[in-house]
Amino acid sequence: MNRTWSLALRRAALIAAIFALWELVTGGFGLDLVLTSPAILARPSSAIAELGPYAASGQLGRDLSTTLIEAMVGLVLGILGGAALGLTLGYWRRASELIEPVLVSLNSLPRIAVAPILLPWLGLGIASKIALSFFTVFFVVFFNTYLGVRSVEPELVKAVQVMGGDRMHLARFVVLPSVFTWIFAALRTSVSFALTGAVVGEFVGASAGLGYRLNIAAGLLDTKRVYLILLILMVFAVTLVEIAKRVEARLLRWRPSAVLAG
Amino acid sequence: MSIGLQHVGIRFRAGVEALRDVTLEIGRGEFVAVVGPSGCGKSTLLSAIANLLDPADCEVVGGILVDGAAPGTKSRRELNLGYVFQRDALLPWQTIEQNVQLGLVIRGVEPGVRRERSRAMLDMAGLTGFERYYPHQVSGGMRQRAALMRTLAYDPQVILMDEPFGALDAQNRMLLQSELLRIWQASPRTILFVTHDLAEAIVLAQRVVVLSRRPGAVKAVYDIALPYPRDAFALRGSAEFGRLETTIWQALRDEFRATLPDAVVA
Repeated sequence: MNRTWSLALRRAALIAAIFALWELVTGGFGLDLVLTSPAILARPSSAIAELGPYAASGQLGRDLSTTLIEAMVGLVLGILGGAALGLTLGYWRRASELIEPVLVSLNSLPRIAVAPILLPWLGLGIASKIALSFFTVFFVVFFNTYLGVRSVEPELVKAVQVMGGDRMHLARFVVLPSVFTWIFAALRTSVSFALTGAVVGEFVGASAGLGYRLNIAAGLLDTKRVYLILLILMVFAVTLVEIAKRVEARLLRWRPSAVLAG
Repeated sequence: MSIGLQHVGIRFRAGVEALRDVTLEIGRGEFVAVVGPSGCGKSTLLSAIANLLDPADCEVVGGILVDGAAPGTKSRRELNLGYVFQRDALLPWQTIEQNVQLGLVIRGVEPGVRRERSRAMLDMAGLTGFERYYPHQVSGGMRQRAALMRTLAYDPQVILMDEPFGALDAQNRMLLQSELLRIWQASPRTILFVTHDLAEAIVLAQRVVVLSRRPGAVKAVYDIALPYPRDAFALRGSAEFGRLETTIWQALRDEFRATLPDAVVA
């Protein structure tokens, strides 16, 4: 058997084993082996059974699309904003020297801590979640872009200059491709940051979304619902990161690592 | 095009004096090699000629003329310089073919002509079939060959080469030396070739310039009276090659000795 397939099978078996063990210690398989209270640890089968009523109520679709839109809009805006500022400050040394302490201070702030102030500013709707998502993504992309501009290979710059290339040629052939590399290398991190921003934003105050529903279920001690939403979030995040990985491998296929992954 | 150096001195602001009083005339179509211990300013000299030094980092005195023009007085496209780096300096995000066409794209050559030209260059370098490969997918020897073709593609009249084969293994180095000889013999252009490999300098060049250790100054200049066309392989076994190598090594040895512990250099 092919090595990749055998590994995939063994991984699937491990995940199945974890779920089986979990099912067992929460009284599953008709053995009544309950090691913890159901209010603390829900049985996986009963958590997944919650999917039916959750979907039937129409809330699941609404929550999923709300969280997805918040995370994606935040992601795109964060990448655009971070890249724009990173490029500007990467080139404009004077401005970067001036603004650096401000950015470092903002960056050192735990992103999530700003969530409560976003609420009165932007309301309970999706705007406040997009803002939090944007804020978390923005700095990752900004610092990567900034480093990307600063770490352009001097020899490549010289090679293009000697051939008679002007600033436009340098940007097109050397600086932008080099910066894109850094931005896309941060894409995976950015995607999970964007999702975190959206979900945490919903915790603080919202009217829909997976984070909002999770928070309500936790308040009502509806453990089954809590575990169901956690599982949904996990699948959701894994899918998004997997898409980001593929996009990255495609766009950076000229890199040695991208070839190995592809 | 010719290169003229009159009492050139280069001092870095950090305090290091790289070159001192270098005077050298390189005629049109001439192949000159510069040898010297590492750190003697060989590469800095090439950067100065190509106007690649940052004036904020160093101070250049004396006169440098490329085709009669001081650095920066003519546009780079007008000067039409070629520069081959020690590491290939290919753009990693462009294919071999795109890399070879780079100088032509910068010059605004139309795509049809560009393609034809790069095809001919790749064919000459034995890279046909690798057009769509990215640099990391081919060997170091192929990369350096592509870098050489990228330079030749826009037909520069002066080519500055900074230890271009230094990172290659012995076999690839000899192969590329043969190719360079063949190309230069077919259409002579002015080449200034920096190397730390004395045998390479003798095999390739019409003249070998020995630079002293830092600050680099011209210690001696040797005419290499070996007839062209030369064979990079056969030449190394000849008596004349051996005699030249011994003679020039005498001059070079002292410069190396000063940079190494005594016991290393016999």
